Amino acid sequence: MLNLRLLLFSVAFLSPILQIKGDDFKEEMFIKPLPPSHLYVYFQFLTLANGEESFEHSHLAPRSLGEIVSRYQVEELHLTLTEGQWKHNTWGYPVLDAAPGAELYAWFAPDVVDVDTQWKKLSSTLSGLFCASLNFIENMNTVSPKMALWPTGAYSKSHQNITSQLRYASLPREIVCTENLTPWKKLLPCESSHGFSSLLNSRMIHNTNYHSIGVHIRRMCSGSNCLDTSLEIKQTVALVYDFKILNTMDWSLRKLFGQGLPGACPLSSSSRIYVDITSNSSYPFKLLPEPNSIMFSHRGGSKTELAVYEINHSNMMNIGAKYEMRNKIFVNIPPPLTFNRYVLGYGKEFGGIVTELSNNYWAPIDVVLLENAPWWLPIQLSTLRINGEAESKLIMSQYYSPGRSRQKPYHLELLLKLPPKSTTTVTIDFEFVFLKWQEYPPDANHGFYVGSALLSANLPTAKNYTSLPITGSTFDSIVNASKPWYPIVFRTNGGMVSLPTPDFSMPYNVICLACTVVALAFGPLNNICTKEVVLKIIVVPVSLRQKIFNIFKKKKD
Amino acid sequence: MSKQDSKSIADEANRMWASASFVGVLIVIGLPLWWKTTEVYRVALPYDEINAFNTESHHITTDITVLANDELTAATIAELLKKEFEQYDVIKLNIKQQILSEDLQQTLDAVAEEQEALEEVAATFDTSLHNAFYVVQRKQLFQDVWVGTERVAFFRDTKAAPTLIEALKSWIYEPSVLHGARSETADAARQVRFPSGEGFHVVLSVVHPKPQAMKVDFDAAEAVEDYIGSFVDELTDLHNFTLKSQWLHLLEFNFQTNEVPEASLWGRHFPARYERLPLLLTRLEERAATHVSDRPALNLALYVAPCDVAPLAMYDADNNRVMSAVQAFMSPKWGGVVLGNPTKEECEQKLYTPDVKLIMGTFISQLRKLLGITDKELIHLAHLEPLRSVVPRRWELDSLLRIRTLEQVTSAERSLKSLAKLLGEISNIVINDEVGASINQAVASIHSARRLMTEGELLAAHHHAQQAFLAADSAFMEPSLLALLYFPDDQKYAIYIPLFLPVMFPVILSLKNLLLWLRGKPLHKEKTD
Repeated sequence: MLNLRLLLFSVAFLSPILQIKGDDFKEEMFIKPLPPSHLYVYFQFLTLANGEESFEHSHLAPRSLGEIVSRYQVEELHLTLTEGQWKHNTWGYPVLDAAPGAELYAWFAPDVVDVDTQWKKLSSTLSGLFCASLNFIENMNTVSPKMALWPTGAYSKSHQNITSQLRYASLPREIVCTENLTPWKKLLPCESSHGFSSLLNSRMIHNTNYHSIGVHIRRMCSGSNCLDTSLEIKQTVALVYDFKILNTMDWSLRKLFGQGLPGACPLSSSSRIYVDITSNSSYPFKLLPEPNSIMFSHRGGSKTELAVYEINHSNMMNIGAKYEMRNKIFVNIPPPLTFNRYVLGYGKEFGGIVTELSNNYWAPIDVVLLENAPWWLPIQLSTLRINGEAESKLIMSQYYSPGRSRQKPYHLELLLKLPPKSTTTVTIDFEFVFLKWQEYPPDANHGFYVGSALLSANLPTAKNYTSLPITGSTFDSIVNASKPWYPIVFRTNGGMVSLPTPDFSMPYNVICLACTVVALAFGPLNNICTKEVVLKIIVVPVSLRQKIFNIFKKKKD
Repeated sequence: MSKQDSKSIADEANRMWASASFVGVLIVIGLPLWWKTTEVYRVALPYDEINAFNTESHHITTDITVLANDELTAATIAELLKKEFEQYDVIKLNIKQQILSEDLQQTLDAVAEEQEALEEVAATFDTSLHNAFYVVQRKQLFQDVWVGTERVAFFRDTKAAPTLIEALKSWIYEPSVLHGARSETADAARQVRFPSGEGFHVVLSVVHPKPQAMKVDFDAAEAVEDYIGSFVDELTDLHNFTLKSQWLHLLEFNFQTNEVPEASLWGRHFPARYERLPLLLTRLEERAATHVSDRPALNLALYVAPCDVAPLAMYDADNNRVMSAVQAFMSPKWGGVVLGNPTKEECEQKLYTPDVKLIMGTFISQLRKLLGITDKELIHLAHLEPLRSVVPRRWELDSLLRIRTLEQVTSAERSLKSLAKLLGEISNIVINDEVGASINQAVASIHSARRLMTEGELLAAHHHAQQAFLAADSAFMEPSLLALLYFPDDQKYAIYIPLFLPVMFPVILSLKNLLLWLRGKPLHKEKTD
């Protein structure tokens, strides 16, 4: 009954703007309190570009992205720019996880032969488009994951994961700020003047614990038989607010973004705000104004309640929550799969990376762990230990590709079956490497970032799971979307190692010292070889004192 | 005593040899080695050829055939033409004269329409050749001279000669524009048209500031393909074109304008003042996303005026209203903007249907100028057939080919000359093998283009000129030129001076002794002690 009402409701609210070329734009916002101390806000802007293979004529979709996709023959592309670290243990799972810094992966069309060149060109072009240092993506920090990543769109005809066309790179050192957000906003049809994107002013959103902006492009089937595909461009923003920074638990759009919502984007066919009110039972709060409807979802054994706001085109509005009870003790129940990663070792010779994977669920979970170590951090397969054992039954499949100095990173992929209610520790050792003096980054003593490991899992339960099903684009697709398993790709926290760092003024000192020594040595050497020492009889002139002495002597005599 | 003497002489010889070997190692071997290792890498370049380029000396030879009913008319016209065009060094006419055959004369006199007469001429003479033009006598003309879309001009008789020459000068050959293409400073036409290039993107942006208030029924993709597509298809000899279109919604722009009442359906208009228009271009440029293209983009923008400021009317610099059917303006080397004004009725119905033919026609006329086709001025007693389709006239294409060939050859020469001058002034510019190869290629292409221009092979000359232009441009813009530019000399000396200065002093001082010894003079004056 409720669902039916909802359906009618959405039909009634369908945008009066006629879509000229079948392009479709939707904006959605998902707010989930992460009790006791944080609030998760996720925006997604969906642009569906119909037909057009070559992308020469665009309507709502950004022409710049379309041109890049068609010029480099990209089938699917994911780019995220993230500042901060998502805490899976306490915050649960995000809709889309992202590695700290910049992360880019893309599948190229099967007929692209020279993938590496196209990849380099693609990253350089995106670097210019988003003002990010993606131009530092080169062969030496790019891998082709074999098991960890799967395309999410209607990729080619055979639905195969052609990993030779896939490239993945992350730049953990990249710092994300306003200069990335501004070009990102320009890709939206409403830019930042109307709709949800007008909330994204950088003063407020960079004042968060975690923020991540992303662009995800994939091909979607446009008919039921999937003969034609259309391009889906999804732009996302994920923010985690800290109630301590906000100074209060009561949140509202005005508090979070510095202003109310000035209505929907006039070009969007649907503009909705979803508020996850599942935590209302333990941490009661009251939403103001009242939501338009409430959606109940039973998905994989977990119940979710979503309050839905339909935003229409012109009203200024503010949505807020008021908490009724304060200072309640909160018991954190960790999600089914949690993980942690840290660097081992002391001294400047050997070290190790430890990845701890905890399965808190009562059934085994299959995961793929991808360790991607830069060339200056050589990890050796022989030192791989699972729970301290070299030969472990937990490894179901493994792939290892050793790195090459200055050319290729080390790449290890493990397919593990995590036993129920247990923690699995994966340890691998590395050696420290001396770099050439020009290869050190500025401020080398700060340390070297090691990128996140990818952890791809098929979760048997949807507890804490907020991602959309693979076939869905909008949030209403999560309602009752029970599946045998729930695929998700996590990024562990990154690490930091301090490589042996020389004193950088040393070369100049050495040159100056060596030159001085050579010059000092050369002088006598030259003299000895070319000059003759001649003895000379010296007639000592009588000094004044001597003269006086002599006078005295004479007088005495 | 003599034994001791001979020993000291031998010692002295040894010492001198040691000194000589120090000199040998440090000055004869060391210095050239240091010179060689710190030298900036430069491929040998044809500096002589580059410096010998004279950009003002290029000219194009072109064929013109005078077809008259009798020998005398043909000779008179040819003579007058020759005399008139002798003053221009940029274009050389290769004048031929011929008598029209009896049959053709009769047919030309018989047909009523000029268009039919054209076909008759085309049946006998080959008018499809680039760089060939026919001046044909036709007695049944209402005007002195008639020029159509083909490479043919009709004239009535000898009395029409001044008008004919005027038409040839200001419509067909345009020696002043050609001169402008060759000269150092840009003339009016060169200031408007895009710099030469291998290809262009033509991007039509439909700007719709208030999509919530009104719907626009306009198929941008179809309009671009239909109109602009058939126009640029004719220009494929010159450039490659890619056609694109996009919609820019919610692009807010404040014209800062007040309502002016007038007697029309709207009862008002809003002035779009001259000084506000560049700001509109800035707003467009922000959103138009032309920077992702790999080629220069010609921007065409249809700005749909929102109903609350409709209709917009353009005002010129002197604040006078520009009266025209289409409100449009052009920005040189950038593109054109058409202001689309919905009618009052359309605003009430919230549906605006732009007049595609009118708007695209305006864009085409802007494109013609941006790509280098000049406007043709009216000439008294001469008739220029107006354009009936988007396709440019045949002789306009030839004219464009001539302009672009001259422009590209001279531009390539100027680039190379500047590069050669720069290399002389700044010593640490690297010229690697690739840059060297493209400079050599540019020089070779310039020579062949020059030869082909003199021979009158217009298409081939343009092809070589374009190659030269692109090669010279890529050599001049190559980032590897700057590889060593930021390694200052004082840094180099900071490293070498502590070593070379203390070492060189004794060695150079010992040179004196060495020279004296070599000349057999005594080193020490015997001291009397």
